[in-house]
Amino acid sequence: MGTAVGAGGPADKSLDSPAIRIEGLVKDYGAVHAVQGIDLEVRRGEVFGFLGPNGAGKTTTIRCLLDLLRPTAGRITVLGLDPRRDGIALRRRLAYMPGELRLPERMTAAGLAAAIGRLRGGFDLRRRDELAARLDLDLDRRMRDLSSGNRRKVALLLAFLADAELLVLDEPTNGLDPLMQREFLRLVREARERGTTVFLSSHVLSEVQRAADRVAVLRNGKVLALGGVEELRRRARQRVEVWFAGPPPTQELATLAGLVDSTVEDHRFVAVLAGPIQPLLEVLARHPVVSLLVEEPDLEEAFLDLYEAAS
Amino acid sequence: MSGRWVELTLGPFRASWRAGLGWSIGLALLVVSTVAFWPAFRGSSGISQAIDQLPGPVVQAFGLEGFGTPAGYLRGGLYELIVPLLFAMAGIGFTYSAIASEEDAGRLELFLAQPVSRTALLVGRSVAIFGWLLVLTIVVLASQLASDAVFGIQIETARVVATIVLCALLGAFHAGLCIAVAGAAARPTRLLSVGFSVAYAGYLVRALFPLSAILAPWRHVSPWDWALGSDPLVNGAEAWRYLLLAATGVLLAVAGLVAFARRDIRSA
Repeated sequence: MGTAVGAGGPADKSLDSPAIRIEGLVKDYGAVHAVQGIDLEVRRGEVFGFLGPNGAGKTTTIRCLLDLLRPTAGRITVLGLDPRRDGIALRRRLAYMPGELRLPERMTAAGLAAAIGRLRGGFDLRRRDELAARLDLDLDRRMRDLSSGNRRKVALLLAFLADAELLVLDEPTNGLDPLMQREFLRLVREARERGTTVFLSSHVLSEVQRAADRVAVLRNGKVLALGGVEELRRRARQRVEVWFAGPPPTQELATLAGLVDSTVEDHRFVAVLAGPIQPLLEVLARHPVVSLLVEEPDLEEAFLDLYEAAS
Repeated sequence: MSGRWVELTLGPFRASWRAGLGWSIGLALLVVSTVAFWPAFRGSSGISQAIDQLPGPVVQAFGLEGFGTPAGYLRGGLYELIVPLLFAMAGIGFTYSAIASEEDAGRLELFLAQPVSRTALLVGRSVAIFGWLLVLTIVVLASQLASDAVFGIQIETARVVATIVLCALLGAFHAGLCIAVAGAAARPTRLLSVGFSVAYAGYLVRALFPLSAILAPWRHVSPWDWALGSDPLVNGAEAWRYLLLAATGVLLAVAGLVAFARRDIRSA
């Protein structure tokens, strides 16, 4: 065996650098401060979740990575390259899936893949057909005849077809049915196994939680929290709804730390859990429970503590 | 030509084929149907006399001098106003649909996320726009020369070619202007208002300024005057007229490329 090709000898400085490094990124649109000083680093080979409610500055940050927007201040390097100066070299090595899907209306998925393929120096047709089959996508239909879910699949197909070192996916599962969301997670996992770095923006905690190694939580153009997905999970709140066979054991439940905003309606007990679930389960085990529902609240509610601390 | 350049130019060219076909059919019909009435005019002295009754400045402003001659007839019926105006509108329209409205709809983003420079993307689209103007030039030329033969208009081919090429270059000038506007900002309505205002103002300057002794020297600021000021159907045209139109069109397009490379791309 000879030396590995492209494995990044010491001469290749770009491979020593993190996949993405953002330092003090600021982006203003006139009087609107969309991004107000973001610092973060995405390591090579990790799946990085970029989490925040709509309008938090996720898409603006991503569009700066791609040199679609020019930062007001701050420094960005992606794969060791400056998006502005080395944009072409950089975009050859990354694939991007936009959140807002505006695709050429009259083109078919096959036609669009061919067009993007020509810009990228060719796509593997076998891989295209395999991905289309996995995503259950008809390549011969025109964009204007596709539902929003199917358009999303076209964009996913284009992103995963590129065989890039870095995948930048903006709200990738918006409009996908649960079956396809699972297929998407499989694709992300496979990409990571191949060594691809995935930058995944979302406003849905559970999606990021299932896919990502580390997460940044954004709000109002600032990073509120940055850490491992488990750590973040522990900080997130959950909505708990319990139906008891009889009246809820309210006094016992009231002693539990981390259970807030509780309400009781006949046999139904609803609360927000802001800590570990184990103590609650122990209490419930001692009482006749008919049904139990633990759900993820929306992002604002899940990270209420973070948000309140920040403001 | 690499696959990348094929896609960057032929992609937008193909995307405009409906508009291109519509313009081609419309212009061909206009030329053929106008020329088809020539035999009727040639035979009637009444119309020439009626035009002679009009005040001189009106005849001049509407390009009706010598309406009974082949050159006068074609000038008054086609090449004084309607054909150059349609070329200008086509230049504005192709630029609107290939660049400004595409960016406004967020459809450039997918292409700019690929390994292509902004300049290459806009150069490709500009080539597609000028390519369609070239197609329209050939269509008008072919319809004019064919119908001249069929309906018996006797006019020197070189003069017809000169006139049509100058009209097309007026269209290219307006396309270049609109590429500059589209490059500067993603505002499709601004492109239309600037494009049509310049086309209209240019026509007014050429048509009306010569009627006033004070304003007459200023008629040369109008691109319409650059294109048609020599009365090319009768006299042909000097080389500088072609060069000035082409050069300003290209310079404006280049200004658009430079501006486009420096600004934010509009998102959907």
